[in-house]
Amino acid sequence: MKPTIVKREPVVDEALDQCEARLTEEQIEKVVNEVIDKETGGRLWTYVNTCIHCGLCAEACHWFLSNDRDVSYAPVTKVKDTIWVLLEKKGKVDGAFIKRCSEIAHTECNLCRRCGMYCPFGIDIAYMLLVVRRICAKLGMVPLYLQDTVHSHAATMNQMWVKPDEWIDTLQWQEEEGQGFVPSARLPLEKEGADIMYSVIGPEPKFLAQLLGNITVIMKVAGLDWTMPATAGWDNSNMAMYSGDFEIMARVERLHHETAQRLKVKRIVMGECGHAFRGAEYDGPTWMGWMKPPIPIVHAISFYYDLIKSGKIKIAKKAKGPITVQDPCNVVRNGGLGDKLRYIMNAVCEDFVDVTPNNRYNYCCNAGGGVINVGPPWKKKRVQGNRIKAEQFKRTGAHTIVTPCHNCHSGIEDIVDFYKLGMHVKFFSDILIEAMEIPEHLKPKEE
Amino acid sequence: MSNIESWDWESKEKMLADTAEWKDRFEDVWEPYISSDGEKIASIIKIGEGEFNICVNGNTWEEPFEKMWYSRFSPDGRLTALISKDAEWTMAVDGVALEETYEYIWDTKFSADGKTIVAIVKQDGVYGMLVNGKVWECPVKLESIASHAISPDGNTVAAIAQTVPLGQADLDGFLKGTWSVVVNGKPWNDNFVGIYGLAISNDGKKVAAEYRAAICEYGIVVNGNPWIEKFGCTWEPVFHPDKSDEIIVPVRQAGQWFLAKNGRIVWDKGFFSLLYQTYSPDGNNIAVAVAPQFGKWTVAVNGQPWSVTFGECVQKPCFSPDGRKVAVIAKDSGKWLLVVDGAVLGEGYDNIWQPVFSPDGDKVICKVEKNGKYAVAVNGEIRGKNYEALWNPVISPDGTRAMICGVESGRYYRKVVSLSNI
Ligand code: SF4
Ligand code: SF4
Ligand code: SF4
Repeated sequence: MKPTIVKREPVVDEALDQCEARLTEEQIEKVVNEVIDKETGGRLWTYVNTCIHCGLCAEACHWFLSNDRDVSYAPVTKVKDTIWVLLEKKGKVDGAFIKRCSEIAHTECNLCRRCGMYCPFGIDIAYMLLVVRRICAKLGMVPLYLQDTVHSHAATMNQMWVKPDEWIDTLQWQEEEGQGFVPSARLPLEKEGADIMYSVIGPEPKFLAQLLGNITVIMKVAGLDWTMPATAGWDNSNMAMYSGDFEIMARVERLHHETAQRLKVKRIVMGECGHAFRGAEYDGPTWMGWMKPPIPIVHAISFYYDLIKSGKIKIAKKAKGPITVQDPCNVVRNGGLGDKLRYIMNAVCEDFVDVTPNNRYNYCCNAGGGVINVGPPWKKKRVQGNRIKAEQFKRTGAHTIVTPCHNCHSGIEDIVDFYKLGMHVKFFSDILIEAMEIPEHLKPKEE
Repeated sequence: MSNIESWDWESKEKMLADTAEWKDRFEDVWEPYISSDGEKIASIIKIGEGEFNICVNGNTWEEPFEKMWYSRFSPDGRLTALISKDAEWTMAVDGVALEETYEYIWDTKFSADGKTIVAIVKQDGVYGMLVNGKVWECPVKLESIASHAISPDGNTVAAIAQTVPLGQADLDGFLKGTWSVVVNGKPWNDNFVGIYGLAISNDGKKVAAEYRAAICEYGIVVNGNPWIEKFGCTWEPVFHPDKSDEIIVPVRQAGQWFLAKNGRIVWDKGFFSLLYQTYSPDGNNIAVAVAPQFGKWTVAVNGQPWSVTFGECVQKPCFSPDGRKVAVIAKDSGKWLLVVDGAVLGEGYDNIWQPVFSPDGDKVICKVEKNGKYAVAVNGEIRGKNYEALWNPVISPDGTRAMICGVESGRYYRKVVSLSNI
């Protein structure tokens, strides 16, 4: 096999550098073989043996397309340069090689699975790169900011080092904010037997608290019986799933699902996040041995679809002007919610302009899969690695992009900024809260 | 449950409050809680802008507060709530707020007899445990408290706490250990990468927890001393009911889960998943929730799985008082099921609460939910009427009667029925 020509601007990530200096070849060999022998099965070998090196998957990857078709970014190259070598050499590689594995798997692939749709054999490149991440995680080779986020999950059971009192205090504050729109709105804490447990991702209480105020209003207007936990277990996000630390991933998911069971709810409704859906719906339950979540989990897109379709929420004034959307891979390509997303977008926007390609075929935002969480050192490469997303949005002529996923939201804000698109980035609930009808009897009384 | 003998087991039915009428009296009425003896029902009520109170059997506390939440009865019947006045937080017990106030207070817990009431508090950025109105003295400044536990007699209060400050993105600092366990204000000597699953022995003498040794390495630490054995993963430890030197814990090895006792694997069988290990009251038997294969859940008693499996999950098993029977709530095809010794009793429900056995183990009673209404089910079959709200039935100490507390048409009833009649 010819070596790949790799041209990259150097990036300093202390954690990777220090790990490279620390790792011994014995450690590496042991962990690589442990993971391959005990944690993977026929699937990995089938994928590796089936690939005919045709390169069709390259056309799918935003990294490849945005970097002037640089082959080093092609999906097949990413596995050729990582897992293939690890298998072939039976783990006899050095620290520098493992570092490159982490750079590829953690910072140059979003596990978005677009490439799998273009491969004639449906080879799941993302799965193989997750195996690479697993090996890296067990060796401690994880980019600094991603590892820090995973440590936050491990210590606090949430992504953002939010302490227990800060969480509850924020909910009580946002309940009051919600009461500004609808005085009788309530954010019920720890209400056993409620119909719905609402869960969010760590950044909501930390940076985007208004979303909690929004949901307080939406739940009241829709007349739903809901609750939020006042304990850990409220965060449905999971960066440990993406670093490759599956034990912490499972601990976080277990707590989230057991919190719903403790509260005796019928379903978990989650806020607008893609990867959190993946973790709570598939990866977490699978590791725990649950065929599906013990308490069903409903993504915000499905939830809003049901509320609007059933008339529980009515739209009073649609948002004006051209508005477009991002399809979060984890809930659209891999979760099938693209049509529902278009239904709700059309319901709240006067002029919804779709993107091309769209729905299951849409490009990834390039933030997901933990790639935005590797932090500032890698930001430039990330935004440059999604030029085609910027071009795609530009073609819509929209003034606003709706992103029903937190990572998409942050990643797209960076792209809008870098490529000077001059567009706003909003969550669906931001648009909904402005567009929905608040029934007369729920409105604040005029003084 | 404290003083269960002295509860009123004679009055057949008492209508203690008309909660429907509360809704006319107050701006908002929150979900109700009842005292363990069923004599009192209480809801937080909103009486105006920034003015809350609590209504107990129709009477409010003398003083309203700016904010209130987490109203809970102690097992000895005192009503607690977390309240805020002048923008400071504290706990109020039976209407009287503690003098000391805090930046924040949460997670109230009680000893089994109700005599000890604890909660976590934060003041000036320092975290601590409030035990019967006094914050414990701790030589170390606690950066956070993740959770806490209290011994049945209330004499031992333990907390999982961050004992070492940690800078932003300080990976090395984190791996050196910033978490420990603090028992009655005294931290363990060592700090750990992570601490989970806190447990206290019934005699209050031992405190155990899971600890994380490295990225993928876990073990159990007891009174500050780690087991030598380490595992790929662990779940929370459980003490033997009488022997505080016996601990069982699920451990993961080579991709399978086993049950370990004091560090050694006890059953030769490994499982895809293993959770909720439970001792029988005499400590002679152990039941656990297991998945022998992916997506197939059951209960294993002393290592022997039942032959029946369930597709979605099983919860924590519970033994009959004599330890001969095991009941568990399982989920299959979207329905919750009551399962006793491997047999499904009755039909499936939308929800089932933790079952209780009669003393002879013949009857299993629980609260169930069907089509938005609640009822009491005996051996899985609904008996008696539907309620708008219902609490889990309690069986009298002599095992002849059950107390059933519920709300019908807004009215709160406490009923005592003969076990042979339901
Ligand atoms: S980023 Fe997406 S398309 Fe590119 S290699 Fe990864 S999974 Fe495939
Ligand atoms: S498209 Fe499929 S077969 Fe072709 S190189 Fe990519 S992964 Fe291999
Ligand atoms: S962040 Fe959003 S678009 Fe991007 S990978 Fe996740 S789900 Fe996909």
